[in-house]
Amino acid sequence: MPITDAMVSEATRTLFSRALRKVPEDTKAALARALETETNETARRTLGLQLESANLAEKLDCFVCSDSGVPTYFVKIGSRADLACDFKAAIRAGYETLVETIDPPLLKHVTNPLTLERSHLGKDIPLVTYDVESGADYVEMVCSPKALGSGRWAALELFTFPSLEQIETFILDVAIKAGAQHCPPVVMGVGIGGSFDHCAGMAKKQTLRPVGEANPDPTLADMEARLFRAVNGLGFGPMGTGGDTTVQAVHVDYACGHGFTPVAVCFNCWINRRTRVRMWGDGRMEWGE
Amino acid sequence: MITEHDLTLPLTEAAVRAPRAGDVVYLTGEVFATAGLPTHDRLLGCLDGAESPPFNMAGGALFHLGSLNEDGDDGLPRIVYMNPTTSTRFDAHMPRLIPGLGLRATGGKGGLGADSVRAMAACGCVYLSFLGGGAPILTAAVRRVTGVGWPEMISHYRIVRLEVDRLGPLTVGIDAQGNSLYQQASDTARERRGALLDGLRA
Repeated sequence: MPITDAMVSEATRTLFSRALRKVPEDTKAALARALETETNETARRTLGLQLESANLAEKLDCFVCSDSGVPTYFVKIGSRADLACDFKAAIRAGYETLVETIDPPLLKHVTNPLTLERSHLGKDIPLVTYDVESGADYVEMVCSPKALGSGRWAALELFTFPSLEQIETFILDVAIKAGAQHCPPVVMGVGIGGSFDHCAGMAKKQTLRPVGEANPDPTLADMEARLFRAVNGLGFGPMGTGGDTTVQAVHVDYACGHGFTPVAVCFNCWINRRTRVRMWGDGRMEWGE
Repeated sequence: MITEHDLTLPLTEAAVRAPRAGDVVYLTGEVFATAGLPTHDRLLGCLDGAESPPFNMAGGALFHLGSLNEDGDDGLPRIVYMNPTTSTRFDAHMPRLIPGLGLRATGGKGGLGADSVRAMAACGCVYLSFLGGGAPILTAAVRRVTGVGWPEMISHYRIVRLEVDRLGPLTVGIDAQGNSLYQQASDTARERRGALLDGLRA
């Protein structure tokens, strides 16, 4: 029995709806840890309020934020998955059904960049990235509704044979420019190398890594720990009103490329919307974050 | 030590001169909310005489809050959810709107720039920081919708007048004395930059 259009459409709807109502457990744990070490009184109050908001939204089954963002999905297709579906059509259909049926309704955030007209639908919406997974017998879908507050502070710059020092200076300067604006404490994703498009994709995917999951590459793990201390040392704090907690985590990935080296940085706001499902041909759907 | 202030709308100049940056405020009474950039353009047009604003906001609070407002089963408008948007999007508008509309409070998330800070100090107006991702807490403080301005616009661009009961806690991000927590945080970050970069290389 294969993975069907109906399963992909259901995943599209349910992942988006859940992401709007449920702050991931790893983020709640990161906020609780920060609360223990934060020295700024206003910051401690804000962290406490963030946890309260997360718990209330879960209890009341309501949205954490009014900006439901643009629908963004990442699909990983296992090379051994049994498929009988048209991913693009099924995702589009699932999202259209979601717009018509979700309770409470979504605000119109999808924007035509040429006319500034706002809607729920539009060209290339939902935004979907496809990838393959060697040997897997499942399809994995991740949903990350992307809002304006944190989305607008992402940055990418191209260097030529940069030193590690130049790369890290750029990363810290992007954090300084974003400052108080992206609803901190954020998850910061960094991509280094590859090509322009590959680098941006790496940075984005790093924001989707669970907070607290160690980087298997010791060089990157060390870089993540040092950047985490440095960005938190800037002092912007929760919601930017000062404090020791500006990032929940800094996640870094790299790819080899030519001597022109892109470096990309992007952010997920404190609610860190992220939902995940794995689907198998026997109809199983395993939901996660 | 953080001082808490319970303030009632409409606000007097003395009431908004008292809280200091970092204090906490709860608001009771009627406030105005919108998240629309076109709305702010249109409000500037009102100051230039293009049309009349939908409400007299003198002594009032205009917040950068996006909301889903719709007619309830009883035919009366209601707020389904609301949450702050980024105030710096309105940096170009607020230095004129604060004195022009006679605002005693504004707010949202992320603060406002230096020109707005100066306008607030000159007129007697505070900036209140709302929790981004605080929809469940903020929406619960809304008692009812008492007016919807420019209903022809999409939901979060309209100006809604809300009756709120102890809306908060809201952090005073910019006080009426010219102190801005955002400016302080930004100055601190720039001061620390060199030492933090040295630390990265160690």
